[in-house]
Amino acid sequence: MIAPHLIRRQRLIIFILCALIIATFIIGLGMGASSVSFDRIIPTILGNGTFKEEFVLFSIRLPRILITVLAGMALALSGSILQSITRNDLADPGIIGINAGAGVGVAIFFLFFPVDVGSFIYVLPAVAFLGALLTAILIYAFSYSKKEGLQPVRLVLVGIGFSMALSGVMIVLISSAERSKVDFIAKWLAGNIWGNDWAFVWAILPWLVILIPFTLFKANKLNLLNLSEPVAIGVGVSLEKERIVLLLTAVALAASAVSVTGGIAFIGLLSPHIAKALVGPRNQLFIPVAILTGGWLLLLADTIGRNIINFSSIPAGIIVSLIGAPYFIYLLFKK
Amino acid sequence: MVRLYTDDLSIGYGDRLIVKELSISIPDKKITTIIGANGCGKSTLLKTMTRIISQQSGAVLLDGENIAKQNTKDLASKMAILPQTPESVSGLTVGELVSYGRFPYQKGLGRLTKEDYDVIEWALDVTGTTEFKYRSVDALSGGQRQRVWIAMALAQETEIIFLDEPTTYLDLAHQLEVLNLLQKLNEEQERTIIMVLHDLNQAARFADYIIALKDGEIVKAGNCEDVMTAEVLEKVFAIDAHIGIDPRTNKPMCVTYDLLKGAEK
Repeated sequence: MIAPHLIRRQRLIIFILCALIIATFIIGLGMGASSVSFDRIIPTILGNGTFKEEFVLFSIRLPRILITVLAGMALALSGSILQSITRNDLADPGIIGINAGAGVGVAIFFLFFPVDVGSFIYVLPAVAFLGALLTAILIYAFSYSKKEGLQPVRLVLVGIGFSMALSGVMIVLISSAERSKVDFIAKWLAGNIWGNDWAFVWAILPWLVILIPFTLFKANKLNLLNLSEPVAIGVGVSLEKERIVLLLTAVALAASAVSVTGGIAFIGLLSPHIAKALVGPRNQLFIPVAILTGGWLLLLADTIGRNIINFSSIPAGIIVSLIGAPYFIYLLFKK
Repeated sequence: MVRLYTDDLSIGYGDRLIVKELSISIPDKKITTIIGANGCGKSTLLKTMTRIISQQSGAVLLDGENIAKQNTKDLASKMAILPQTPESVSGLTVGELVSYGRFPYQKGLGRLTKEDYDVIEWALDVTGTTEFKYRSVDALSGGQRQRVWIAMALAQETEIIFLDEPTTYLDLAHQLEVLNLLQKLNEEQERTIIMVLHDLNQAARFADYIIALKDGEIVKAGNCEDVMTAEVLEKVFAIDAHIGIDPRTNKPMCVTYDLLKGAEK
């Protein structure tokens, strides 16, 4: 029962977004430090590049680009789910405290658990993931009431509270730490995509391969959860069970992304919102658009951040926030 | 033996009991209306009978089984509910909303089958909303929107339909339109309809069975001649009612009323 013109529009938008991702990829590849010149990209991909070109493309740039796109996708999907289950267009994994939870996990681990350099970068995502999961469980426990079940509004409020409290914990942790260690944590918090190795691609890819189809499979339930509680119960959605499963899905997605990219907010807020404005609120339609928008936005932010100043790079998270914060304020005013 | 009844049902928020040990039976294939003053527990009762809120004790039984113990999706193919003034999501089209009513029958990816489409078309047609199919629900008038929500409940293809004040916010003509539609569904398709209504004369005109509640307890339950009496209305609403006969339908109606002497504040 979807209007045919919406389906046509969705296909067109998906095509455009894919084209934008590829274009941004190519432009990014030809710019900044360790670049491959435009006319050499295709020969290098086909295996006719020099050793240096191949090394730069396959070992440095490609994994980072893939991680960036995948992380953006995961955050966008996570935000889409959260917005539907909380029935709140302002929900975002960053706003409900998942980023802060991962951040505290990383900070505690980094400051108090000495690990050798080789395994460090592979343990860190796991720690960030655990921090995020633990925070989500606490937020859920505090917003659950035995009488009324899970109240979406309370979930958002408790999440914001946790987010602030955990930021406070971070400041306490950082202020007592050594300068060199603070530097890494500060960069992590700013959303500096630091995992740039094929191992991180393999760390994040399985989550998306499993959870994107899973979420689309649940799209009908998301539609109903987004509508109204009595209506959802009336047509036979087991509210509490679906909410927990979908909340866990959203947390897993956000945590898997944040653990390799650092604290990136707003992608999960912006992407579903843009997608809904383009193709309407039906989850089956807007989720694919939101995923691609998220992937493209983060890739664009990272490309801009890498090239905007000559000698150094600005973390993608900061560029995203520069775009995201005004959009967020615009949304608040519109409400 | 009726299909749907409640057994010593008590419902409350916190310590306060709203409905007290209520045992009522809903006649099959009839229109039942629940009436009562504000806060008497009629909406609460309706919500509990449709598992939207849970009871403190007692049970709601459908075909001899406690509904709290049944699979909620199976139950959704037996009873549908139209909650009080549900909100829509901005940008949702009428066709999509009505298609959500097919949820109890969907498996896997939830693609709509030919049968689903037929039922949706029928629901749109019978509620006169086919022309809005691709329009956004929030762009419709109150009366149109209410018919769309009824269409969604109809798409659920259930024998039992609950409605919580389906005529609220509608003008006189649209109120009658909705009630006529429900009556038609009851007569032509033998659906069991249970609704909460505020307007006594509408209740008397359309209901086969009326349940009058006060403070969560039954004052009187029966056909409209039994319930639409000055004594019952005095107890239920604390009014002094003058009951006459509707010259067109020959049903009892409340012609005029006053507050009970001493009840004014």
